[in-house]
Amino acid sequence: MIYPQKLNSKKSDRILKGAILISVLVAFLLVTINRLTNPKIPWAALANGGIVYIWITVFYSIRKNINIAGHVLLQTVAISTLLLFIDYELGEKGWSVNMAIPIIIIISNITMLVLTIVSYKKFIKYAIYQLMIVLYSMLPILLMTENMIQDKMLSMIASGISIFNLFITFVLCAKDVKEAMIRKFHM
Amino acid sequence: MKNKKEEELDWRRLDNSAKIFPISTGKKYSTVFRLSVVLKEKINPKVLEEAVNETLEVYQSFKVRMKAGFFWYYFEHNPKKPIVEEERDYPCQYINPKTNNNYLFKVTYFENKINIDIFHSLTDGNSGTIFFKEIIYHYLELMYPEVFQEERKARKIEYNTEDSYMKNYDKKAKSNASGKKAYTLKGEKIRLGAVSAIHQIIPLEELKKESKKYEATITQYLTAVLMYAIYEENYRKYKGKKPIKICIPVNLKKYFPSKTMSNFFSYITVEAEMKRDRLDTFEKMIEFVKEDFQKRLTEEEIIKTMSANVKIGNNSFVRAIPLILKNPLVRLGYMEIRKYTTITFSNIGRIGMIGKYQDYIDYFLMLIAPESVEKIKCSSCTFENKMVFTFTSILKDNSIERRFYQFLKDRGIKIQIESNGVLDDISTKVE
Repeated sequence: MIYPQKLNSKKSDRILKGAILISVLVAFLLVTINRLTNPKIPWAALANGGIVYIWITVFYSIRKNINIAGHVLLQTVAISTLLLFIDYELGEKGWSVNMAIPIIIIISNITMLVLTIVSYKKFIKYAIYQLMIVLYSMLPILLMTENMIQDKMLSMIASGISIFNLFITFVLCAKDVKEAMIRKFHM
Repeated sequence: MKNKKEEELDWRRLDNSAKIFPISTGKKYSTVFRLSVVLKEKINPKVLEEAVNETLEVYQSFKVRMKAGFFWYYFEHNPKKPIVEEERDYPCQYINPKTNNNYLFKVTYFENKINIDIFHSLTDGNSGTIFFKEIIYHYLELMYPEVFQEERKARKIEYNTEDSYMKNYDKKAKSNASGKKAYTLKGEKIRLGAVSAIHQIIPLEELKKESKKYEATITQYLTAVLMYAIYEENYRKYKGKKPIKICIPVNLKKYFPSKTMSNFFSYITVEAEMKRDRLDTFEKMIEFVKEDFQKRLTEEEIIKTMSANVKIGNNSFVRAIPLILKNPLVRLGYMEIRKYTTITFSNIGRIGMIGKYQDYIDYFLMLIAPESVEKIKCSSCTFENKMVFTFTSILKDNSIERRFYQFLKDRGIKIQIESNGVLDDISTKVE
């Protein structure tokens, strides 16, 4: 006998699929209750935004070989989107673009700066994510030029830190950045 | 020996054949092939794990993980250790890098057997065999250090990872591809994910004698038997109209000097218009196969096929499409391309082992992953006097396998059957 008696085909992740199904059902249930009870306050939408955010985080986290810089980028984008959505749902007061998103950008840039300094030998792993975070950090400047931000100070600080971060990256890890670019963009 | 930093900086492009596989691959289309060896003794898992790690130090081209670039995938150094575990899954299943420490091959064992499932992007059957043989050498050396002291020192390993396609293709060669779609095998499929593997262990000398009667090579003879089995058991039953097309991979290292461990293969396609050419007996089929081989298995024809494929991957427009768009486009294209083959039969030929090592080996196996269009795939390899012809199938009906077996048996060839039990009746009732 050269084969085991019982062979499996690839196990589909039933627990994960079951949990997703439950989430979808919960989301529908929340929307229904919200509509029946107090439709003026969109609390179900806020809760569902939270559910989506949790799933994005879970999907990324259960991957076995997560890259810290990749996680920073994902969280930066996911939390910003979630806050923007909450702001929009609660009457578009602008606190997300004026304050919340710049603060998130500052935190993510400081995290990346620390990562660059502490583990610059491994920087090639982080290089592409670092560049993407810098690119994302220019978002407040774009919003400023479109006059979508009233309180400009925090946004200018966020983008400024990001540019400083990019400068430090090039000083410490220019070779790695170049190498990562060649790898990622080879044709 | 490279230091950690140098290893991290190590990366390489995928060769021209390899580029297509990660884009077209999925759970239903794994593009994985398996090599197995059946030893004369039970496998020691710990020693096997050590042997795999030692072999990876020698063949660093396998110590890689695949990453997505903006335009293409690429390989980079994998710092993790590979997972070696007991066989639990059907053969040639999709290798999920996330659950395999990012490796693109998987080593498993069961009783006396060692398997290696390899994702085709990494290498082809020929180079995969070289790597697998090295694992076996290391395994036996670790098991019996005193026996293999001399052999261990004497073995020389020389290889590179160049893209031999780019080096050898002819820019001016014109495509020789046939425009006709192929007959696809019909029948009910077995449950999703399950793969039937039926091995027919044939005495090489008897097979040689039989093929010599028709002045055919073994590959030609088996191709004709396969065509006959398909014709009798599937084509006629389902009133086939399109030609039966049998794709036969060709090792390009026989035609071009190359030491690459990357993919370097092409293929020929035997195209049989059963009705037009009145191919209704085995004798007519083998004459046809011989003629078709003669026509197609020439350096000129092989260069044409290879060059046409290289030109597609090398096309400036194709190269400039971002990977995110390439994925759906290639998948669609590949779904269409697969309709041009009825079945693939890959014969990797003799697997030679150095002197003393042979004493520990019973035979080798090779398996290729079947898929929804090519529902059966065939492969064969030879060790000493044992040629193992393998059918991997997702069809419930095993009449093609049976007819193939019966045909050879009727000619006095004694065949031993082994199977993974998915289509259990062939292994129990056929003998």
